[in-house]
Amino acid sequence: MKFVSSQCSFEYPWDYVSASAWKKYPNEMSSHVVAVDVLRRELNPETGLLTTERLITCRQPIPRWLLAIVGGRDTSYVREVSEVDPVKKTFALRSCNLTMNHLLSVNEVCVYAPDSSDSSKTVFNQTARIEAYATFQRLCNKIEDWSVERFRQNAAIGKIGFESVLQKLASTVPDGMFKEVHTA
Amino acid sequence: MGNLMSASFAPECNEVKTKYDNCFNEWYSEKFLKGKGAMNPCEQLYEDYKACLGKALTARGIKNMLDKSREDAPFEVGGRTQDELNEEIGKK
Repeated sequence: MKFVSSQCSFEYPWDYVSASAWKKYPNEMSSHVVAVDVLRRELNPETGLLTTERLITCRQPIPRWLLAIVGGRDTSYVREVSEVDPVKKTFALRSCNLTMNHLLSVNEVCVYAPDSSDSSKTVFNQTARIEAYATFQRLCNKIEDWSVERFRQNAAIGKIGFESVLQKLASTVPDGMFKEVHTA
Repeated sequence: MGNLMSASFAPECNEVKTKYDNCFNEWYSEKFLKGKGAMNPCEQLYEDYKACLGKALTARGIKNMLDKSREDAPFEVGGRTQDELNEEIGKK
């Protein structure tokens, strides 16, 4: 089992980032995400929390040695459940792979929250727990190492991709809500 | 803004999905974040989209995988696993 995490900061306030996060895909960097579907969405009238369940469809090249084990499929599915608290201003997303999970489980938690020292910025924390289940420890290690590496790559390109979405949306916001922020 | 919309895994649902996504995104920014989210104008659009998705999930064999995951990390607890819930209780 391996734990891996990544942190970054966006130069936009949380309201704007959280609204843009729903439009994160497609972006030119994260072309492995080919579809995002909303399976269930509920607003709890008592807590004020918005909970959303999504299906994320990915198509990513898999290395030859792993392809032989998983049986040649390059489409994978991820289920994600997120919670938005508009008062505390937190947006937490928890996800887990639906495919290849006899071989590997990747549980990821991502949180967008305002930067406590500067509310015009948003911090993004991403952690994953990766566990491979193969008969041989050496193969487990190899699968886990590959997954950790892919997590790092996807985290890095995910930031660049989302950054481009934030910029693009900022230029299309008609007026009001976020304007003061990007002209600053 | 069409190019900024994500596709559905089921192409036959793209049209209803786009309508729903547009409605949701506006509600989210203009109502929900401003504390005025109680009224949801997107409900009917979502019902249309969900009906389309339901068929596609079963036809493509994804529903079974989802149901398994729903047991491990229920929607009702924000997708937390039992391990996570235990950890949170431990912290309190």
